[in-house]
Amino acid sequence: MMSAEDWQIVWFTAWVSALSTLVILPFGLAAGLLLARRDWPSKSGVETILSLPLVMPPVATGLILLKLLGRRGALGGFLHDTLHLDIVFTWLAVLVSLSVMSFPLLVRSVRVAFEEVNPRLEQIARTLGASDLRVFWAITMPLAARGIIAGMILAFARALGEFGATIMVAGNIPGQTSTLSLAIFQSVQLGQDSHAFRLLAVSVVLAFAAVWASEYLARRKRAPL
Amino acid sequence: MKLLLQRICLPLKEFTLEVDVEIQSQVTAIFGPSGAGKTSLLDLVAGLRSPKCALIQLNDRVLTNTARGLNVSARSREIGYVPQDLALFPHLSVRGNLLFGYKAASNSLFRFEHVIDVMEIQPLLSRGVTALSGGEKQRVALARALLTAPRLVLLDEPLASLDLKLKAKIIPYLCRVRDEFHLPMLYVTHDPAEAAVLCDEVLVMEHGRFVRQGKAEGIFADFSATLAADGHSRRVERLKLGEKPQFSDDLR
Amino acid sequence: MKLLGLNPIATPVKHPTVQPRYSIHSAVVNSVLRRLTAGFVVALIWCAARAGDLTVFAAASLSDALKEIAVIYEKQSGDRVVFNFGASSVLARQIEEGAPADIFFSADEAKMDGLEKLGLILKETRRSRLSNSLVIVVAADSPLQVPSAHDLAGDKVKRIALADPKAVPAGVYARAYLEKARLWPAVERKIVPTENVRAALAAVESGNVDAGIVYKTDARISRKVRVTCEVKPEEGPPISYPMAVVKESSRIEAGKRFVRHLDSGEAGRVFEKYGFIVRKQR
Repeated sequence: MMSAEDWQIVWFTAWVSALSTLVILPFGLAAGLLLARRDWPSKSGVETILSLPLVMPPVATGLILLKLLGRRGALGGFLHDTLHLDIVFTWLAVLVSLSVMSFPLLVRSVRVAFEEVNPRLEQIARTLGASDLRVFWAITMPLAARGIIAGMILAFARALGEFGATIMVAGNIPGQTSTLSLAIFQSVQLGQDSHAFRLLAVSVVLAFAAVWASEYLARRKRAPL
Repeated sequence: MKLLLQRICLPLKEFTLEVDVEIQSQVTAIFGPSGAGKTSLLDLVAGLRSPKCALIQLNDRVLTNTARGLNVSARSREIGYVPQDLALFPHLSVRGNLLFGYKAASNSLFRFEHVIDVMEIQPLLSRGVTALSGGEKQRVALARALLTAPRLVLLDEPLASLDLKLKAKIIPYLCRVRDEFHLPMLYVTHDPAEAAVLCDEVLVMEHGRFVRQGKAEGIFADFSATLAADGHSRRVERLKLGEKPQFSDDLR
Repeated sequence: MKLLGLNPIATPVKHPTVQPRYSIHSAVVNSVLRRLTAGFVVALIWCAARAGDLTVFAAASLSDALKEIAVIYEKQSGDRVVFNFGASSVLARQIEEGAPADIFFSADEAKMDGLEKLGLILKETRRSRLSNSLVIVVAADSPLQVPSAHDLAGDKVKRIALADPKAVPAGVYARAYLEKARLWPAVERKIVPTENVRAALAAVESGNVDAGIVYKTDARISRKVRVTCEVKPEEGPPISYPMAVVKESSRIEAGKRFVRHLDSGEAGRVFEKYGFIVRKQR
């Protein structure tokens, strides 16, 4: 049915997607909080840039990442020469492309979650003697938690299905950068339709599990109140 | 106590809040129509808003002095705040809310057991906040502010959303706060009866300025059935003409 | 331009001095009729032009040579040639699914055999004259020395670009060569598979891989790579580029004409210019 290589692909896809979600979480929280609570002159410019990976063709984003992170690129060249670290065509490139592509979704959900927290509650917490950090952890975060987790699940699901940017910047190297989407694409290319359908079934199950988990969490959060 | 609100200037949406007053009574009412700037003034005193210019001093401690660039943060002011919507934390239990700002090593007056005793909220401790009745929420919000051992308590229309029966029930608790804890209070209201019962001094605010200051008896001296009837008929006349009833209809 | 033996028909021109005198009504009818005829003729010409389009699915490594040959052929024959270049494996799949190809020009016999087995090509039109050789390339400014394939297994070479060795002919050939040289186990994990051989070339050019194995003909057209080692024909697997007319084609005669042209000495000289090996008779 499913070979050992297939299970390796599934496992790889799942853990790199999960890792990418964790990697973007602190940045997503910071960006979401800033956008929800502050105003500044170039704010709409920043909002637009953050939304770009959502709207641009994924391969275009992948091309930009390739130029940036390749051995001759601005960032990649530096990493290659000083740290002897290569990103393109390794699992790190998969991590980067999944992170970049799912980041805008996380920021959007986090921003809405923070906006829905009544600022009055934060103010009163301050009068009760709480520091800004305590206000964030004890008041803002718990009240925004449901929305934030929903955003994380959305980002995870997006990472699971990411293809266009990944194939540009990581290639489809068997055992090293082959994700579920890339493997399905390759199977179709090679005329191995039944193999493609088996992988497709797994990706459907994964997506289903992700959405079910988010619904379950949403229900549990409602209970204590 | 002495609360100095000097040269306060805070631009608001439709007018500028301009206040220059010294408050020495224990319980002071700030009386005025909605939109007069009362809540903004409380926010200023609590340190939740920054004025364009101000000198705010509580007893011998300067809280805000824009001339020197000094603005003590809200968390260090030791001022309790019970806002109009109470702002109880929905994700914490009653106990969680009460203990949020609790300073255990403080004055025995503000000990946990004593405060919940005075406010009579012992049976509510393990309940969730959203399941409480209006009156219960009031008492919890008040107790939460008290448990931080404040030097001054700000109350923004605490009884506004309660019916007469409930108001009558809560007012004794407010009296206890005044009498048992000896806490100075700034009490915003638009009900003359509350002001008359609880407060020593009344400040009347209109469009961001104090227009009258004096003892409660003086301000509402003729708050009798006649004045009530006069005020009532003045309001009715306005409504007939399609005008909004004015606040000053009730004053002499 | 001559199409299907027809000469282009110009729109009739009005000659006022010759024109007899008609009534107003007839004049209008006549002008409408003239316009309709002109429109009809334009449409005919357009359809004829479209009908002359030959669609050729060809391996990526043939791009430059075929484009040059087509320019000459179009002038000579009047047929227009349209290309779809890509990995032979992908192209064969597309033809299986019914893509409108008239001619298939593959980089290995296996893909053609596959289509022949499915009865999708005209067997009698199948020709295999072209061959190629493999080379190892590095980026033009790379300091790497790879004098022989054995150096690919060394530490200095971390990543090697190949057209996907699972299916694309260039990659299949490269793998066969490496297996024959007993180097495959050592280099397997360094392989970066690409969509087609030109993508492997691009990967080497970009500097993101250390080396690549492509056709000699690909290395020749790029100034950004340097050939470090050429695989002699006897060391490597036999490379062969078969071509044939697709059975489902709607322009079989035109297709056969082009295949004959591609098989001719004139086309052969162009292929040789680009570095292909042209076998005399198969």
